[in-house]
Amino acid sequence: MATTAANKTINAKLVLLGDVGAGKSSLVLRFVKDQFVEFQESTIGAAFFSQTLAVNDATVKFEIWDTAGQERYHSLAPMYYRGAAAAIIVFDVTNQASFERAKKWVQELQAQGNANMVMALAGNKSDLLDARKVSAEEAQTYAQENGLFFMETSAKTAANVKEIFYEIARRLPRVQPTENPTGMVLPDRAMDRAVSSSCCA
Amino acid sequence: MRTSAAVAAASKPPNPLVAFEHKRDAYGFPVRPQHVQRYREYADIYKEEEEERSDRWSSFLEDHHADSTDEPSSENSHAQFSESGKEKEDDKLGAKDVTPDDANGEEGFPDMEKSVHRVQLWTEVRPSLRSIEELMSVRVKKKVDLSKGEQEDPKGKSSPSFDDAKSTKGASENDSEDEFYDVERTDVQDGSSSDGNSVSGIPVAGDATSFSASTCPWKEELEVLIRGGVPMALRGELWQAFVGVKQRRSKDYYQNLLAEDSSGNSIDQEDTQHVDEKGANTESLAVVEKWKGQIEKDLPRTFPGHPALDDDGRNALRRLLTAYARHNPSVGYCQAMNFFAALLLLLMPEENAFWALTGIIDEYFNGYYSEDMIESQVDQLVLEELVRERFPKLVHHLDYLGVQVAWVTGPWFLSIFMNMLPWESVLRVWDVLLFEGNRVMLFRTALALMELYGPALVTTKDAGDAVTLLQSLTGSTFDSSQLVLTACMGYQNVHEIRLQELRSKHRPAVIAALEERSKGLQAFRDSKGIASKLYSFKQDPKSVLVDSSKVSLTNGSLSRSESGSSNADEVLVSLTGDGEVDSVQDLQAQVMWLKAEVCKLLEEKRSALLRAEELEIALMEIVKQDNRRQLSAKVEELEQELAEVQRHLSDKQEQEGAMLQVLMRVEQEQKVTEDARRFAEQDAEAQRYAAQVLQEKYEEAVAALAEMEKRAVMAESMLEATLQYQSGQLKAQPSPRSGNQSPSTRNINDQLPEPPQSRISLLARPFGLGWRDKNKNTTPEKTAEHVNEEKPNAEGKETNAETKDVKLQDAS
Repeated sequence: MATTAANKTINAKLVLLGDVGAGKSSLVLRFVKDQFVEFQESTIGAAFFSQTLAVNDATVKFEIWDTAGQERYHSLAPMYYRGAAAAIIVFDVTNQASFERAKKWVQELQAQGNANMVMALAGNKSDLLDARKVSAEEAQTYAQENGLFFMETSAKTAANVKEIFYEIARRLPRVQPTENPTGMVLPDRAMDRAVSSSCCA
Repeated sequence: MRTSAAVAAASKPPNPLVAFEHKRDAYGFPVRPQHVQRYREYADIYKEEEEERSDRWSSFLEDHHADSTDEPSSENSHAQFSESGKEKEDDKLGAKDVTPDDANGEEGFPDMEKSVHRVQLWTEVRPSLRSIEELMSVRVKKKVDLSKGEQEDPKGKSSPSFDDAKSTKGASENDSEDEFYDVERTDVQDGSSSDGNSVSGIPVAGDATSFSASTCPWKEELEVLIRGGVPMALRGELWQAFVGVKQRRSKDYYQNLLAEDSSGNSIDQEDTQHVDEKGANTESLAVVEKWKGQIEKDLPRTFPGHPALDDDGRNALRRLLTAYARHNPSVGYCQAMNFFAALLLLLMPEENAFWALTGIIDEYFNGYYSEDMIESQVDQLVLEELVRERFPKLVHHLDYLGVQVAWVTGPWFLSIFMNMLPWESVLRVWDVLLFEGNRVMLFRTALALMELYGPALVTTKDAGDAVTLLQSLTGSTFDSSQLVLTACMGYQNVHEIRLQELRSKHRPAVIAALEERSKGLQAFRDSKGIASKLYSFKQDPKSVLVDSSKVSLTNGSLSRSESGSSNADEVLVSLTGDGEVDSVQDLQAQVMWLKAEVCKLLEEKRSALLRAEELEIALMEIVKQDNRRQLSAKVEELEQELAEVQRHLSDKQEQEGAMLQVLMRVEQEQKVTEDARRFAEQDAEAQRYAAQVLQEKYEEAVAALAEMEKRAVMAESMLEATLQYQSGQLKAQPSPRSGNQSPSTRNINDQLPEPPQSRISLLARPFGLGWRDKNKNTTPEKTAEHVNEEKPNAEGKETNAETKDVKLQDAS
């Protein structure tokens, strides 16, 4: 993999999913702008960011879609995770419910998402040691069982934020042709069309 | 108190950039660092615009307030008369006082802190805006009627999830209506039964067109004004007038919604009992609790740091959102509403904000923020179609990059452009949107943005760049007037009727996709699978045909499922019904088995179809790519040709330059020769003149010569005569005198050789004459013979000299 032409650019669509207030936007803001605010405005629909990372053999340009956390915005999520090369599923280590929600997201991505998607599980707010409700072991075990990698992050202290994106960049398949980053949209469009055709017929 | 003070402060026209930090705009909202510069540039423009529109509005209001004082005031008095007398007092006292109403409310609220904030819960709009309020309230009236009809109609037949929501809603509504709604509320809800009260003065609109038909003559003028923007000072009240807050309001409703909360568990339990009695489950309460958590989370995340949203402001926001969630459980709390509610709170008192929010969410955005957000998705499909139609080039480019318009426009619509556009622009869009009372302005604004930024987007190279560019351009759309006017003027053919058509065209696809997805998830989670299989063949209409034909063999009851209600439960019910009706177990088993089989086959067929379609699309994509390659090759070729042609062209140009230089040189030379010629001519002229002079002199000389000759001849003849005479004398007397005479004879003899000399010179004459003739002939050929002329001249001179000699001799 590393033998392919050095310094090629890979465009990778990445989507952040997770419960309300898990810290998706904060993670992105820390990664893209290295900023942190205590009260990040609620995300409506989705927000877009892009950031470029150099890993040893290539340059990865992340097209990051930060989605809204509220459950009902769920219906819009497919639009964003469709065709994504990577996903970060974020939960709040101080909130058990957010971990359960994360599991649901993993399930959904396994069922509906791109089969080669690189998935990361982020246990955010790891700086809040006293309030912790989800243990690292529990999350780690779950991640291993489901074929994703797990990191505990803190957007506030910037712990593991860059690392998780680097790790994703490293794991992205290098064979993917750079010229057609959206190639994976194909099957989904087919789905759409199939659906619409079947109900109009 | 402090809340109201803060709210009032915010709703009053602030002089722009008050005491807030630099990074906040005139409304107290943060300005992104990259936009600070541009915002400062526009702040002055905004100020000017604001002054201008304040003037226009005040003159407009003066004019039309005078016009319409008669009718509306009578209507007003009607309305107020019919409302309880207290309300009238309210008006007279002015809203700032604690009204009896509020006092009543306080009795229900032992909580002191709450009651403090109730002071300025409700105010009426200023009298000058009454006529506009009346105008707009006609619409509300009608819509309430319509929506009531709509809501009741599909209740029974909607999908299960919808049904649940509706039934809980229905229950709680009934519940609250019974308990809390006062008479007026029911009247407002049920316009037809109201005769002598609040609605009586207003013509009850029967059909959809009557709103526009029944409007007054200045409605158009008003529309133009609104498109030009609403003055900050009037914005809050005008918005209320647009949404018809007064018409919507039913007294104590808001307070009662909140009372459920503040009076603690006892009432909650009462409620539960109530709900239970009505046959609904207790879930709704749990749901309310869930909303509470979400609202709580979002409170500090709503315009964080806004100066007007201090603790009291956030408490008001909490109450408002909670009340709304209870008012309409089918929507409950949806993120985005926190921003809407906060904005409304900045512009108007709390209860007014509540009614405005209900108007916006329940009507303008009906189905947008509900659990499944169907309308939001439908609108995106509609928008995509419109964008495709209007900007084919842009869409083609975005398709090529793999960008879906909805990725970006979805959040635009859901947030009604809040945090997407600069605030001035957001408010201007809201002005129009609330006035029009539908979502048309969303579409128009989105299209206008595409128009403004499409050309830039076409230059982007990948999806990320395109989205980033669009986001940042949108975020810096400070020219709000340009935006609103482009939207309103440029897209007038995007109107509600057309949108409705498009919506109904796209809605089935969204619903199907939704079911598809829930089915997919279910299939993934469900090990049983039979339900999902039934679901799946319900998805495919062809299979329904097969299904029905198949089933009709065994039992007619299933054909019900074909008849259109897309309800899996129903199918299941009919399935079980099937089982009950059919007594033959064997046959039933068989049917079940066959059904399962059919399901399996259909599913396979379906997946095969899907796969085929996938492949087809992939193929198309490949072909497209291929074409692209070919095209790019062609483009390259053409470019090469172009380069060659350009090279040729430059060569030619060089040559032309050289030629030009040569020509110029030739021309110069020509000029030189011309000059030379002119000089030569002048020379020739001079020469000719000289020649003439000489000729004249020559002629003179000739004449003189002739004279001389004559004289010579005469002298000769005299000489001869003398000689003859002498010889005659000599012969007669040759004497010694002759010796004396000799010197004289010698003199004569000496002279004798002379005549031949003169004769020679006379002989030369014909030559001179000959030259003269010759000269006469040659004068036409001026220059060429110029040199030759010298000779005859010289000769002429010679002859002259000779003649002079002769003269001299003659003289001597």
